[in-house]
Amino acid sequence: MKKVNILKPVLVSNKERASQNKKFFNDLGAFVINIIASPGAGKTSVIERIIQYFEAEKILVIEGDIRGQTDSERLRKTHADVVQINTLTECHLDAFMIAQVLPEITQPYDIILVENVGNLVCPAEFEIGEDFKLAILSTPEGDDKPIKYPLLFHLAAVVVVNKSDLLPHVDFNVTHAKDNIEKENKRARVFTVSAKTGEGFDPLCTFLAKKVDGKKKNKN
Amino acid sequence: MHEYSVTKSLVDLCIREADRNGFKKIYRINLAIGKFTGFSADSINFYFDYLKEGTSCQDAEISFKEVPIAIRCRSCNRESTIEEPMLICPLCNAVDIELLTGREFLVESIEGE
Repeated sequence: MKKVNILKPVLVSNKERASQNKKFFNDLGAFVINIIASPGAGKTSVIERIIQYFEAEKILVIEGDIRGQTDSERLRKTHADVVQINTLTECHLDAFMIAQVLPEITQPYDIILVENVGNLVCPAEFEIGEDFKLAILSTPEGDDKPIKYPLLFHLAAVVVVNKSDLLPHVDFNVTHAKDNIEKENKRARVFTVSAKTGEGFDPLCTFLAKKVDGKKKNKN
Repeated sequence: MHEYSVTKSLVDLCIREADRNGFKKIYRINLAIGKFTGFSADSINFYFDYLKEGTSCQDAEISFKEVPIAIRCRSCNRESTIEEPMLICPLCNAVDIELLTGREFLVESIEGE
Protein backbone atom coordinates (compact mmCIF):
# COMPACT_ATOMS: atom_id res chain seq x y z
CA MET A 1 0.00 0.00 0.00
CA LYS A 2 1.21 3.49 -0.87
CA LYS A 3 0.40 6.83 0.70
CA VAL A 4 0.39 10.06 -1.31
CA ASN A 5 -0.04 13.58 -0.05
CA ILE A 6 -2.91 15.42 -1.68
CA LEU A 7 -3.40 18.56 0.47
CA LYS A 8 -6.40 19.78 -1.52
CA PRO A 9 -9.54 21.38 -0.13
CA VAL A 10 -12.57 19.11 -0.60
CA LEU A 11 -14.47 22.04 -2.07
CA VAL A 12 -11.65 22.87 -4.50
CA SER A 13 -13.94 22.52 -7.56
CA ASN A 14 -16.51 24.86 -6.03
CA LYS A 15 -13.79 27.36 -5.18
CA GLU A 16 -12.39 27.27 -8.72
CA ARG A 17 -15.87 27.66 -10.23
CA ALA A 18 -16.57 30.56 -7.83
CA SER A 19 -13.41 32.32 -9.10
CA GLN A 20 -14.62 31.91 -12.69
CA ASN A 21 -18.05 33.29 -11.72
CA LYS A 22 -16.33 36.21 -10.02
CA LYS A 23 -14.38 36.99 -13.17
CA PHE A 24 -17.63 36.94 -15.16
CA PHE A 25 -19.25 39.38 -12.69
CA ASN A 26 -16.14 41.60 -12.62
CA ASP A 27 -16.19 41.82 -16.43
CA LEU A 28 -19.82 42.97 -16.17
CA GLY A 29 -18.79 45.55 -13.54
CA ALA A 30 -21.53 44.23 -11.28
CA PHE A 31 -21.26 44.31 -7.51
CA VAL A 32 -22.47 40.95 -6.23
CA ILE A 33 -23.98 40.44 -2.77
CA ASN A 34 -24.68 36.96 -1.40
CA ILE A 35 -27.64 37.42 0.94
CA ILE A 36 -27.94 34.73 3.63
CA ALA A 37 -30.52 34.42 6.41
CA SER A 38 -32.92 31.97 7.98
CA PRO A 39 -36.36 31.35 6.40
CA GLY A 40 -38.68 34.23 7.25
CA ALA A 41 -35.96 36.70 8.25
CA GLY A 42 -37.14 39.05 5.52
CA LYS A 43 -34.59 38.48 2.75
CA THR A 44 -37.01 39.28 -0.07
CA SER A 45 -38.41 42.33 1.75
CA VAL A 46 -34.90 43.69 2.37
CA ILE A 47 -34.09 43.09 -1.30
CA GLU A 48 -37.25 44.99 -2.33
CA ARG A 49 -36.12 47.98 -0.23
CA ILE A 50 -32.61 47.90 -1.69
CA ILE A 51 -34.05 47.78 -5.22
CA GLN A 52 -36.31 50.71 -4.37
CA TYR A 53 -33.32 52.77 -3.18
CA PHE A 54 -31.24 52.03 -6.29
CA GLU A 55 -33.91 53.18 -8.71
CA ALA A 56 -31.40 54.35 -11.33
CA GLU A 57 -29.22 51.23 -11.22
CA LYS A 58 -29.61 48.13 -13.31
CA ILE A 59 -30.22 45.28 -10.91
CA LEU A 60 -30.44 41.53 -11.27
CA VAL A 61 -31.71 39.24 -8.54
CA ILE A 62 -30.63 35.60 -8.60
CA GLU A 63 -33.32 33.97 -6.51
CA GLY A 64 -32.48 30.70 -4.77
CA ASP A 65 -35.23 28.52 -3.34
CA ILE A 66 -35.64 24.83 -2.83
CA ARG A 67 -38.97 25.03 -4.67
CA GLY A 68 -41.41 27.62 -5.93
CA GLN A 69 -41.36 30.97 -7.69
CA THR A 70 -43.20 33.14 -5.16
CA ASP A 71 -40.23 35.42 -4.38
CA SER A 72 -39.42 35.81 -8.10
CA GLU A 73 -43.00 36.80 -8.80
CA ARG A 74 -42.82 39.45 -6.06
CA LEU A 75 -39.52 40.83 -7.32
CA ARG A 76 -40.61 40.96 -10.96
CA LYS A 77 -42.96 43.77 -9.91
CA THR A 78 -39.86 45.93 -9.29
CA HIS A 79 -37.51 47.35 -11.95
CA ALA A 80 -35.04 44.50 -11.32
CA ASP A 81 -34.61 41.47 -13.55
CA VAL A 82 -34.95 38.11 -11.84
CA VAL A 83 -33.46 34.68 -12.52
CA GLN A 84 -34.83 31.79 -10.47
CA ILE A 85 -32.80 28.79 -9.30
CA ASN A 86 -34.70 25.92 -7.70
CA THR A 87 -32.26 23.71 -5.85
CA LEU A 88 -34.90 20.95 -5.28
CA THR A 89 -32.96 19.12 -2.59
CA GLU A 90 -29.96 21.27 -1.78
CA CYS A 91 -30.07 23.60 1.21
CA HIS A 92 -27.73 26.20 -0.32
CA LEU A 93 -26.59 27.72 -3.60
CA ASP A 94 -23.15 26.68 -4.83
CA ALA A 95 -20.86 28.07 -7.51
CA PHE A 96 -22.00 25.49 -10.09
CA MET A 97 -25.69 26.41 -9.71
CA ILE A 98 -24.75 30.07 -10.27
CA ALA A 99 -22.62 29.09 -13.28
CA GLN A 100 -25.64 27.40 -14.87
CA VAL A 101 -27.58 30.67 -15.00
CA LEU A 102 -24.69 32.85 -16.24
CA PRO A 103 -25.68 32.31 -19.91
CA GLU A 104 -29.01 34.00 -19.08
CA ILE A 105 -27.14 37.16 -18.07
CA THR A 106 -26.78 38.86 -21.42
CA GLN A 107 -26.58 42.53 -20.40
CA PRO A 108 -24.54 44.52 -17.90
CA TYR A 109 -25.81 45.11 -14.38
CA ASP A 110 -24.62 47.47 -11.64
CA ILE A 111 -25.78 45.25 -8.80
CA ILE A 112 -26.49 41.54 -8.57
CA LEU A 113 -28.33 40.45 -5.42
CA VAL A 114 -28.23 36.72 -4.79
CA GLU A 115 -30.96 35.56 -2.44
CA ASN A 116 -29.59 32.32 -1.04
CA VAL A 117 -31.76 29.46 0.25
CA GLY A 118 -33.14 30.28 3.73
CA ASN A 119 -30.60 28.68 6.07
CA LEU A 120 -27.95 29.98 8.49
CA VAL A 121 -25.63 26.99 8.19
CA CYS A 122 -24.93 25.53 4.76
CA PRO A 123 -24.87 28.62 2.49
CA ALA A 124 -21.96 29.99 4.52
CA GLU A 125 -19.68 27.16 3.36
CA PHE A 126 -20.09 27.69 -0.38
CA GLU A 127 -18.52 30.63 -2.20
CA ILE A 128 -20.43 31.55 -5.33
CA GLY A 129 -18.28 34.38 -6.74
CA GLU A 130 -19.71 37.16 -4.59
CA ASP A 131 -18.02 40.42 -3.53
CA PHE A 132 -19.31 39.90 -0.03
CA LYS A 133 -21.82 38.07 2.12
CA LEU A 134 -24.65 39.99 3.76
CA ALA A 135 -26.32 38.21 6.66
CA ILE A 136 -29.77 39.18 7.86
CA LEU A 137 -30.80 38.56 11.46
CA SER A 138 -34.42 39.38 12.28
CA THR A 139 -35.42 40.43 15.77
CA PRO A 140 -37.92 37.57 16.47
CA GLU A 141 -35.06 35.08 15.96
CA GLY A 142 -33.23 36.32 19.06
CA ASP A 143 -30.00 38.22 19.63
CA ASP A 144 -27.99 35.05 20.37
CA LYS A 145 -27.97 33.75 16.80
CA PRO A 146 -24.43 34.98 15.93
CA ILE A 147 -23.10 32.74 18.72
CA LYS A 148 -25.17 29.76 17.58
CA TYR A 149 -24.30 30.12 13.88
CA PRO A 150 -20.76 31.50 14.14
CA LEU A 151 -19.45 30.77 10.67
CA LEU A 152 -21.95 32.90 8.75
CA PHE A 153 -21.46 35.86 11.06
CA HIS A 154 -17.70 35.38 10.92
CA LEU A 155 -17.74 35.56 7.13
CA ALA A 156 -20.38 38.27 6.58
CA ALA A 157 -19.04 41.73 5.74
CA VAL A 158 -22.44 43.23 6.52
CA VAL A 159 -25.06 42.15 9.05
CA VAL A 160 -28.55 43.61 8.71
CA VAL A 161 -30.72 43.43 11.84
CA ASN A 162 -34.23 43.42 10.33
CA LYS A 163 -37.72 43.88 11.78
CA SER A 164 -36.72 46.73 14.13
CA ASP A 165 -40.43 47.65 14.12
CA LEU A 166 -41.03 44.52 16.26
CA LEU A 167 -38.48 45.47 18.94
CA PRO A 168 -41.16 46.58 21.44
CA HIS A 169 -42.81 43.16 21.15
CA VAL A 170 -39.90 40.69 21.10
CA ASP A 171 -37.11 39.71 23.43
CA PHE A 172 -34.24 41.12 21.36
CA ASN A 173 -31.59 43.49 22.61
CA VAL A 174 -29.78 45.29 19.75
CA THR A 175 -26.71 45.98 21.91
CA HIS A 176 -26.45 42.27 22.83
CA ALA A 177 -26.82 41.35 19.17
CA LYS A 178 -24.01 43.75 18.20
CA ASP A 179 -21.79 42.39 20.99
CA ASN A 180 -22.45 38.83 19.80
CA ILE A 181 -21.68 39.75 16.18
CA GLU A 182 -18.47 41.42 17.36
CA LYS A 183 -17.40 38.18 19.07
CA GLU A 184 -17.46 36.47 15.68
CA ASN A 185 -16.43 39.35 13.46
CA LYS A 186 -15.09 42.63 14.77
CA ARG A 187 -15.02 44.09 11.27
CA ALA A 188 -18.64 43.40 10.24
CA ARG A 189 -20.75 46.49 9.51
CA VAL A 190 -24.08 46.24 11.34
CA PHE A 191 -27.21 48.10 10.20
CA THR A 192 -30.57 47.99 12.00
CA VAL A 193 -33.54 48.29 9.64
CA SER A 194 -37.22 47.60 9.23
CA ALA A 195 -38.12 46.37 5.76
CA LYS A 196 -41.74 46.89 6.82
CA THR A 197 -41.43 50.65 7.48
CA GLY A 198 -38.26 51.43 5.50
CA GLU A 199 -36.52 52.72 8.62
CA GLY A 200 -32.72 52.42 8.57
CA PHE A 201 -32.27 51.74 4.86
CA ASP A 202 -30.57 55.08 4.07
CA PRO A 203 -27.35 54.29 6.00
CA LEU A 204 -27.31 50.71 4.67
CA CYS A 205 -27.88 51.71 1.05
CA THR A 206 -25.41 54.64 1.26
CA PHE A 207 -22.80 52.12 2.40
CA LEU A 208 -23.73 49.72 -0.43
CA ALA A 209 -23.71 52.58 -2.98
CA LYS A 210 -20.04 53.29 -2.18
CA LYS A 211 -19.21 49.64 -2.84
CA VAL A 212 -21.19 49.61 -6.09
CA ASP A 213 -19.47 52.82 -7.29
CA GLY A 214 -16.08 51.44 -6.34
CA LYS A 215 -16.68 48.39 -8.49
CA LYS A 216 -17.83 50.50 -11.44
CA LYS A 217 -14.70 52.65 -11.20
CA ASN A 218 -12.53 49.55 -11.11
CA LYS A 219 -14.10 48.38 -14.34
CA ASN A 220 -13.75 51.78 -16.08
CA MET B 1 -27.92 18.35 5.10
CA HIS B 2 -25.15 19.91 2.99
CA GLU B 3 -22.92 16.96 3.81
CA TYR B 4 -24.41 15.07 0.85
CA SER B 5 -22.97 17.46 -1.73
CA VAL B 6 -19.82 17.92 0.31
CA THR B 7 -19.26 14.14 0.54
CA LYS B 8 -19.94 13.88 -3.21
CA SER B 9 -17.16 16.45 -3.74
CA LEU B 10 -14.91 14.41 -1.43
CA VAL B 11 -15.53 11.17 -3.33
CA ASP B 12 -15.06 12.90 -6.72
CA LEU B 13 -11.79 14.47 -5.56
CA CYS B 14 -10.48 11.13 -4.24
CA ILE B 15 -11.42 9.29 -7.45
CA ARG B 16 -9.56 11.93 -9.51
CA GLU B 17 -6.53 11.76 -7.24
CA ALA B 18 -6.56 7.93 -7.29
CA ASP B 19 -6.47 8.05 -11.11
CA ARG B 20 -3.69 10.64 -11.15
CA ASN B 21 -1.59 8.55 -8.80
CA GLY B 22 -2.26 5.22 -10.46
CA PHE B 23 -4.30 3.77 -7.57
CA LYS B 24 -6.93 1.19 -8.41
CA LYS B 25 -8.21 1.17 -4.86
CA ILE B 26 -8.15 3.60 -1.98
CA TYR B 27 -8.14 2.14 1.52
CA ARG B 28 -7.84 5.27 3.61
CA ILE B 29 -8.65 8.95 3.14
CA ASN B 30 -6.94 11.22 5.64
CA LEU B 31 -9.27 14.18 6.02
CA ALA B 32 -8.60 17.30 8.08
CA ILE B 33 -11.62 19.21 9.39
CA GLY B 34 -11.24 22.50 11.20
CA LYS B 35 -13.36 23.08 14.29
CA PHE B 36 -14.63 26.32 12.73
CA THR B 37 -16.45 24.60 9.86
CA GLY B 38 -19.98 23.27 9.77
CA PHE B 39 -19.05 19.75 8.69
CA SER B 40 -19.91 16.73 10.77
CA ALA B 41 -17.86 13.54 10.62
CA ASP B 42 -20.95 11.40 11.35
CA SER B 43 -22.92 12.86 8.45
CA ILE B 44 -19.96 12.59 6.09
CA ASN B 45 -19.54 8.89 7.03
CA PHE B 46 -23.26 8.31 6.52
CA TYR B 47 -23.22 9.67 2.97
CA PHE B 48 -19.78 8.23 2.24
CA ASP B 49 -21.02 4.66 2.76
CA TYR B 50 -23.65 5.30 0.11
CA LEU B 51 -21.59 7.35 -2.35
CA LYS B 52 -18.46 5.16 -2.37
CA GLU B 53 -20.27 2.10 -3.77
CA GLY B 54 -18.86 1.01 -7.13
CA THR B 55 -15.98 3.52 -7.06
CA SER B 56 -12.28 3.22 -6.27
CA CYS B 57 -13.21 4.40 -2.75
CA GLN B 58 -15.46 1.36 -2.17
CA ASP B 59 -13.14 -0.23 0.39
CA ALA B 60 -11.96 3.03 1.90
CA GLU B 61 -12.53 4.46 5.30
CA ILE B 62 -12.10 8.05 6.30
CA SER B 63 -9.70 8.99 9.04
CA PHE B 64 -10.75 12.35 10.48
CA LYS B 65 -8.24 14.77 11.95
CA GLU B 66 -9.68 17.68 13.88
CA VAL B 67 -7.84 20.96 13.37
CA PRO B 68 -8.11 23.28 16.40
CA ILE B 69 -9.15 26.91 16.22
CA ALA B 70 -5.95 28.92 16.53
CA ILE B 71 -6.15 32.69 16.70
CA ARG B 72 -3.90 35.72 16.87
CA CYS B 73 -5.14 38.70 18.84
CA ARG B 74 -4.58 41.97 17.00
CA SER B 75 -4.75 43.78 20.33
CA CYS B 76 -2.10 41.98 22.39
CA ASN B 77 -0.49 40.25 19.39
CA ARG B 78 -0.41 36.85 21.14
CA GLU B 79 -1.52 33.52 19.71
CA SER B 80 -3.89 31.07 21.42
CA THR B 81 -6.01 28.00 20.77
CA ILE B 82 -9.68 28.26 21.65
CA GLU B 83 -12.27 25.51 22.13
CA GLU B 84 -15.42 27.30 20.96
CA PRO B 85 -15.76 29.30 17.73
CA MET B 86 -16.19 32.54 19.61
CA LEU B 87 -13.41 34.85 18.59
CA ILE B 88 -12.37 36.41 21.89
CA CYS B 89 -8.75 36.53 23.01
CA PRO B 90 -8.51 34.31 26.14
CA LEU B 91 -5.49 36.33 27.28
CA CYS B 92 -6.78 39.90 27.06
CA ASN B 93 -10.50 39.56 26.15
CA ALA B 94 -10.17 41.66 22.99
CA VAL B 95 -12.36 40.72 20.03
CA ASP B 96 -10.20 41.90 17.12
CA ILE B 97 -9.01 38.46 16.15
CA GLU B 98 -7.23 36.94 13.20
CA LEU B 99 -8.15 33.31 12.56
CA LEU B 100 -5.02 31.23 11.95
CA THR B 101 -6.46 27.71 11.68
CA GLY B 102 -9.85 26.05 12.07
CA ARG B 103 -11.39 26.61 8.62
CA GLU B 104 -9.58 23.64 7.01
CA PHE B 105 -11.51 21.02 5.14
CA LEU B 106 -9.00 19.15 3.05
CA VAL B 107 -7.83 15.78 1.92
CA GLU B 108 -4.34 15.57 3.37
CA SER B 109 -3.46 12.22 1.83
CA ILE B 110 -4.86 9.00 0.44
CA GLU B 111 -3.60 5.47 0.96
CA GLY B 112 -4.15 2.75 -1.56
CA GLU B 113 -2.62 0.64 -4.31
